[in-house]
Amino acid sequence: MSAGTPSLPEHGPKPWVVNRARAGIALVLLYAAASGVAWIRLAASAPARAASDEISSYERRFITLRAALPARGVVGYVGDPDPEGGTPDQREANSLLHFKRYLLAQYALAPLVLIESTEPDVVVGNFDPGSRPSLPSGFHIERDFGNGLVLLRRAP
Amino acid sequence: MTLALALSLLVSVAAGVIVLRWVWPDPEVAWSWPLGTALGAAFGLGLSSVLLYLWMLAFGPTRGFPLVESSLLGVAAILALARARRSAHRPSPSGDRTGHPRGYLICAGGLALVAAVAAFLGLVRRQPHGEWDAWMNWDLRARMMFRGGESWSTAFSNLIPWSHPDYPLMVQSLVVRSWLYAGGETMAGPALVAAAFTFGTVLLLAAALLAFRSASQGVVASLVLVSTPFFIVHGASFYGDVPVGLFFLATFICLALDGRHGVATRRFAVLAGLATGLAMWTKNEGVMFVPAVVAGILVSGWTSGWPRARRTLAGFGLGLLPMLLVAASFKLRLAPRNDLLATLGIERTLGWIADPRRYFLTLREFVAHLATFGNNGVGSATWLLIAYLLAMGIRRRDGDRLWTATAAAALALMLVGHYIVFVTMAYDLPRLLNSSLDRLLLQLWPSILFLLFMVIRTPEEAGHSRT
Repeated sequence: MSAGTPSLPEHGPKPWVVNRARAGIALVLLYAAASGVAWIRLAASAPARAASDEISSYERRFITLRAALPARGVVGYVGDPDPEGGTPDQREANSLLHFKRYLLAQYALAPLVLIESTEPDVVVGNFDPGSRPSLPSGFHIERDFGNGLVLLRRAP
Repeated sequence: MTLALALSLLVSVAAGVIVLRWVWPDPEVAWSWPLGTALGAAFGLGLSSVLLYLWMLAFGPTRGFPLVESSLLGVAAILALARARRSAHRPSPSGDRTGHPRGYLICAGGLALVAAVAAFLGLVRRQPHGEWDAWMNWDLRARMMFRGGESWSTAFSNLIPWSHPDYPLMVQSLVVRSWLYAGGETMAGPALVAAAFTFGTVLLLAAALLAFRSASQGVVASLVLVSTPFFIVHGASFYGDVPVGLFFLATFICLALDGRHGVATRRFAVLAGLATGLAMWTKNEGVMFVPAVVAGILVSGWTSGWPRARRTLAGFGLGLLPMLLVAASFKLRLAPRNDLLATLGIERTLGWIADPRRYFLTLREFVAHLATFGNNGVGSATWLLIAYLLAMGIRRRDGDRLWTATAAAALALMLVGHYIVFVTMAYDLPRLLNSSLDRLLLQLWPSILFLLFMVIRTPEEAGHSRT
């Protein structure tokens, strides 16, 4: 390291010092050029407009359901996939997907608080489209919004 | 809506610049427009966030806020104008500046910035809600506050602990603020906030080095920053790491100003305290930053003399105090207990502390992540900087010894602090190291660049550019 490099001589720096400095600048420019190319590629491959992403698409499923729910308060949540069963790898993958769908439902339905429980009287059911979910006991489907989304209410 | 969003940013930046100009210790230190604007913008974002938080405590997230904030800006602008007329014009500080950067450096810097902005916009179009943590924590909280109306405090319900309701409010409140200006929710709001922090950091780094060292030095340092892949990619993910990094950087810049002008004025130490407080208001890591900076100042006192360090410490504490009160009010009134702390058990923690494998694993990952940080295919930014340092050499300047010791010690202590947190608190250590370590390094990255480029010789000093 050149921490102890003496101050510049009066007659200007030696050629090797200048060349070393040039090499340093060249390295930075090389690094910047590589990133710049990656940035341009990334920009060119991006979709023409937003809202075609996974989160926006998933969120659109909840638009009608949101209107049917109370504006505020706490609502229950049940959904697919079942995090139990299968091999450990399957369990981990299912558990992650289950959690992600729950988070997305919470994100879409804010400011309602969604809890993974059937304790509240109103429960959002978020199942795989076309599946036949087993309902939590004591609940009936109040409204089916299609695409695996149902609103469950505790039977009186 | 786009105009309203632009106005929200403009009001923040203008307010920050006006307030900074107001408190700038003229005539002891001449005002620098590039540095003053970039630093003022950082403070402006922070102050807007705090102002909205206080407004929400009183009235909730109501539509009257933009009007009141804009009116306050108008009053501040009139006062600042009146003060400016009274004060004499002075030239900007010259710092160590010599000559102008070569044309190709300016071209490279400009092209890199344009490419980075294009990439940022591309990433935002691809993921308008940001990455997982953004919609799970930051944007969710913003939605809950904005949509919650009078019940906005439900956003901090302990029924959803996975959303980290104890996280400080800088990013979320600025997103809410953008929606209040826009008159409704738009994903352009979080994107604008993220862009302001990401490119604000680049401009602040360049402006600071321009003021302290030379234009070339500012260009080269900002070139490295915008070319660090994770900085742009993560900036566009709408997380809090780049924002907290901006306030870390602002702290060190204020400490550098204090290092050079601390004998004449204590105001920069006060501003450093304020910037640290804003970091604390951005992410919980900012809480750890407070003792790290205090310890850094004490270290500098040990090496350079206590009277000066005491002065700096007093000013720093004065600037930090208001943010301590704001953060305390949030933690005491709204935030539930931190989930990392809440799940700690004494027996388990003691077991982790006594486990040498955790120390080794954490150290190994620290070294690996540091060595590969900023890898863009050509090489890592760490190796690039080491090579650059060897090529250019170090410049010693007595006036900078005090604050460079403070900054180096604070940055080192932050790394040590993160190491200790990983070893003693992480439940799933390998997973947490893998998912968090680069983000923690990124928070410090702009500050590391600032410190390094303050001590590395400029291209002019190394004889590369014309003078």
